[in-house]
Amino acid sequence: MLLFRGTELRKSLSPEELQKVSENWMAWFRRLTEEGKAVAGNPLEREGKIVSGKDRIVSDGPFAESKEAIGGYFLLDVATMDEALAIATECPGLPYGIRVEVRPVAGECPIGAEARTEAQFAQV
Amino acid sequence: MNTQNEDGHMLLFSSNEWYKELSHDEIQEVISQAKAWFDRLNAEGKIKAGQALARKGAIVSGRNGRLVSDGPFAESKEAIGGYLVLDVETLEEAIAIARTNPALAYGTSIEIRPLTEECPLDAWVRESALQEQLANA
Repeated sequence: MLLFRGTELRKSLSPEELQKVSENWMAWFRRLTEEGKAVAGNPLEREGKIVSGKDRIVSDGPFAESKEAIGGYFLLDVATMDEALAIATECPGLPYGIRVEVRPVAGECPIGAEARTEAQFAQV
Repeated sequence: MNTQNEDGHMLLFSSNEWYKELSHDEIQEVISQAKAWFDRLNAEGKIKAGQALARKGAIVSGRNGRLVSDGPFAESKEAIGGYLVLDVETLEEAIAIARTNPALAYGTSIEIRPLTEECPLDAWVRESALQEQLANA
C-alpha cells in the first residue's frame, strides 16, 4: 500500500503548478491501473475525525494542515517491496514535499501473530 | 460540509502499542474480539476492503525519491497498523462503527476519513480561484 503524506505543497506551488502536478498524478495512476499494478486508490477528504481511548472520544483531526496527514492511498498488486518502492519513486508530488509511505499488506494482524508465536516459545 | 459520500469512508487503525501492557493471552483475546467485530461488519455488507499492514515499510521522499527511512513502523505513534474501507455514506455512520471497535478499550485510536473523487490538489486550485474571484470582486 502506498500512503501519501503531506500538505505543504499547497503553500509552495501556484494554482497552475498544482494543476500540473494533479494531472501528472492522475496520468500516473491511470498508467499503473492499465498495467494491472494498481488495484485501488482514492484521495481522502481533508476533514475527518479521530476516535480514541476507552471513552471513545471523537475529536477533529488536524488533517487540513498537518505535515503527516494522509491525503490519499494506492493499493498496489506487485510481488516485491522493491517493485512497490520503484513505483513510489515515480510519485509526481515527491519534488514538492509529498512523502510516500510504502507498506506491505499482511495476511493477518501482526500483533496477534507475534503474541501467538511468543506464547508458543514461552511454553517450551 | 457535504456528509453524503458514495465512495465510502476509511478507518485507519493506529498501531500505537495498545497491546504493550497486556499478556499474550489478553492480546489473543482482543485480536479474536476484533476478528469477530470485522466478521460481523462483513456479514452486514459494510466492508468494501480492509487489510492489516506489516510492521515494516519505508518512506520515500525528496526530489529523487530517495529512501529516507526503512521503518520500523511499530514504534512510531503515527504508524498505521491497518485500514478498512466501509461502505457507509455518512461520516456519522462511520464514526458509530469505529466507536464499537474492541481495541479502543486499550487506548488505541482510529482515524476516520471520507473517501473522495476529487484530488486535494484540484480542490486547492479551485479554492485559490475562488479566493481570487472574491478578492477581485
